[in-house]
Amino acid sequence: MAEPPETRPRRAAVLSAAVRVLLPIAVTAAILVVLPRFWFGDSPYTTGLAVEALVFGCYAVGFNLIFGSTNQLFLCVGALAGVGGYATAILSDRASLPLAVGVALGTVSAAVVGGLLAWIAVRRSLDVIFTGIVTLVFSLAFTQLLIGQSDLTGGDTGHVLERAATNLADDHVGGYYLFVGLLVGLLIVFRVLQLSHIGWAFRALRDNETAAELAGVDVARYRVYAAVIGSAMIGLTGGLYAYSLGFISPTTYEFAQIDVQVLVIVAFGGLGTLLGPVIGAATFGFLDRALTNSGQLREAYYGAFVIAIFLFLRQGVIPTVTSLVHRLRRIRRKEAEWRPSS
Amino acid sequence: MTAVILDGIVLGLGFGLLGVGLTLVYGLGGVLNLAYGEIAVFGAIVVSQVMNRGASTLLAVAVGMLAAAGLSVLLDLTLMRPVYRQTGEQRTLLGLLLTLGVAFVIVGLLNWKYPTGALYIFVSGDPISIAGVPMSAGSIWASLIALGAAGLLLLFFGLTTFGRGVRSVIQDETGARLVGISPSLVRTSIFALSGGLAGLVAVTRSMTAPLTITQGFTLTTFALIVAVVGGLGSVAGAFLAGIVLGIVSNVSAHYIGEYITEIVLLGAAALTILVRPRGLLGR
Repeated sequence: MAEPPETRPRRAAVLSAAVRVLLPIAVTAAILVVLPRFWFGDSPYTTGLAVEALVFGCYAVGFNLIFGSTNQLFLCVGALAGVGGYATAILSDRASLPLAVGVALGTVSAAVVGGLLAWIAVRRSLDVIFTGIVTLVFSLAFTQLLIGQSDLTGGDTGHVLERAATNLADDHVGGYYLFVGLLVGLLIVFRVLQLSHIGWAFRALRDNETAAELAGVDVARYRVYAAVIGSAMIGLTGGLYAYSLGFISPTTYEFAQIDVQVLVIVAFGGLGTLLGPVIGAATFGFLDRALTNSGQLREAYYGAFVIAIFLFLRQGVIPTVTSLVHRLRRIRRKEAEWRPSS
Repeated sequence: MTAVILDGIVLGLGFGLLGVGLTLVYGLGGVLNLAYGEIAVFGAIVVSQVMNRGASTLLAVAVGMLAAAGLSVLLDLTLMRPVYRQTGEQRTLLGLLLTLGVAFVIVGLLNWKYPTGALYIFVSGDPISIAGVPMSAGSIWASLIALGAAGLLLLFFGLTTFGRGVRSVIQDETGARLVGISPSLVRTSIFALSGGLAGLVAVTRSMTAPLTITQGFTLTTFALIVAVVGGLGSVAGAFLAGIVLGIVSNVSAHYIGEYITEIVLLGAAALTILVRPRGLLGR
C-alpha cells in the first residue's frame, strides 16, 4: 500500500522534533565525554571531584522529578541512596548474589520506600513543609538504623564491598564514564517523561493543584509515580556509587552531606527543568574545587555563595536565562514592527 | 519508673524550650529558620568567651542571649526582607535556602575562629531529691529556667497587648494590618525573642552536658521536630510536644534499649504528624 502523501513531511517533522528534544542531552553528553581528555584526565584528584559532581547530578535528577515536578519535598535523598547502596552491598556480599542483581534489587527497594513515603504523604494530604519533615524524620531514623544494626551494616565504621570492582575504585576515569552514562540515561528518562502524558500531568499539578484535579488529573497517582521513578533513580545511583567506591558508611549517605547539597543544586539550576540539575551540579563541583584550599573558612564561603545566589537568582539559572531570551526576542520582534514595511 | 518519667520531663522541658523559638518565627509568616541551631551555638560561644574574661556567669548569660537576639534581628532586617516580599511556597523555599546559607556562614566562621569552642556551665550543689528521686542541681536549674520561660511566654501572649498583637499577626496578617498592627515591627521583635530563646536554650543545655560548635545542626533538626509535633506557631504546643517526646525517649531508653531510643523518638514524631498534621495544639 502506498503511503499517503502527507506522511513524509510529517515524519520529517517528527524527526526534527526528536532531534530538538534530545539535542540538549546530546550536547551535555558530548561535553562530558570529551572533558577528561582536555582538562583533568591526568589528575586523579580532580577526576574524583568530577565523579562526585556527576553522582550529585544523578541524585539531583531524581530529586528534581520528585520535588521539581510534583512539589513533594523529599528530604531523604541520602536515605534513599543509602537504601540502594546498602541493599547492593548486603545482597552481593552477604547473600552472595551477583552484583547486577544486588544493584537491581537495591534500586527496587529504594523505589518501594519512596513510593510508600509518597503514598503516605498523599493519603494524609501533607503539604510541602510537612512532607519535608516526615521525610527528614525518616532520614534521621534510617541513619540510626544503619548505626544500630552494625552486624549487618558494619555500623559507624562502615562496610567494605568485597565484591566491588577494585579496578574501578582505583581507576577514576572508568568511574567517571560510568556516571556520565548513568546521568545521560537518567536525563533521557526525565525528558521522555516530560514529553509523555505523565509530564503533562506533572506540569498541570505543579502550576495549580486544584485546577489540575478539576481537569481530571489524578494528582495522588502522579505524585506516587514521580516518587517511585525518582527514588529508583536515586537508589540506582546510590548502589552504583557504593560499587564504584568499594566502601560505604553512614556518612556516605548522611542527610547533612547529601540532601542539603542536592536541594541547593536543584534550586540553583531551576526546579523542574531538564538541565537544571546538571548546571547546578557542575557549578557546585567547580565551587568545591575552588574552595579546596580555603581550609576552615570553606563552609563560610559556601554559605555566602548560597545566600548570594538565592538573593539574586530566585528562579534558578535555566528559568532566568529562558525568560531573558524570551524578552530579547520580544524586543527584536517589536523593533521589526517599528521598521517601515518595504 | 518515677525516676524515668521525671528524667523524661527534664529532657522534655529542654526540647520544648528548643522548639518554641523556631515555632514562633514560623507562625509569623511561614519561615523555617534553619540557622536557629547555629544562632544558639553562637550565643553559647559568646557566653563562654565572656566567662573566660572573668565576668560572672549571670552577666555572661545576659550578654550571650543579647548577642544571639542581635544576630537574629540582623537576619530579619537584612536577608528576611526579600523573603517576606514573596508569598506562599516561594516564600517558604527562599526562606529555607537563605537561612541554610546563613547556618553555613555562622558555623564556618565559628569553626575558623573557635575550632574547639564549647560551653559548659557547672552548677554547684548537691543532688536534690524530688519525689524520692535524686536530681542533679544542673538539670533542676535547667528545668526551672525552661518552666519559667514557658510561663512568661504564655503570660506574654495571653495577657499583654503586644502579645495579643503578635497572635493576631499569626492568625491573619491582613486583618492585623487593618486594625493598626505593623507586621514588620512584630516580626522583628519576634526574631529578637527567638534569638534570645536560642541563646537561653544553649545555656540550659550546657548545664547538663558541654555544648560544642558541632551541635548546631542537631539542635535545628530537633527544634524542627518539636515545633512540628507541637503545632507550628503554638507556644504551649511546643512545650507539650517536648515533654511528650522527652518521656517517650526516656521510657524507651530505659525499657527497650539505648540504640533504639532515637528511632522510637523519631517514630513517635512521625506518627503524631501523620495522625494530626496540625500538631498537638495546632489550629
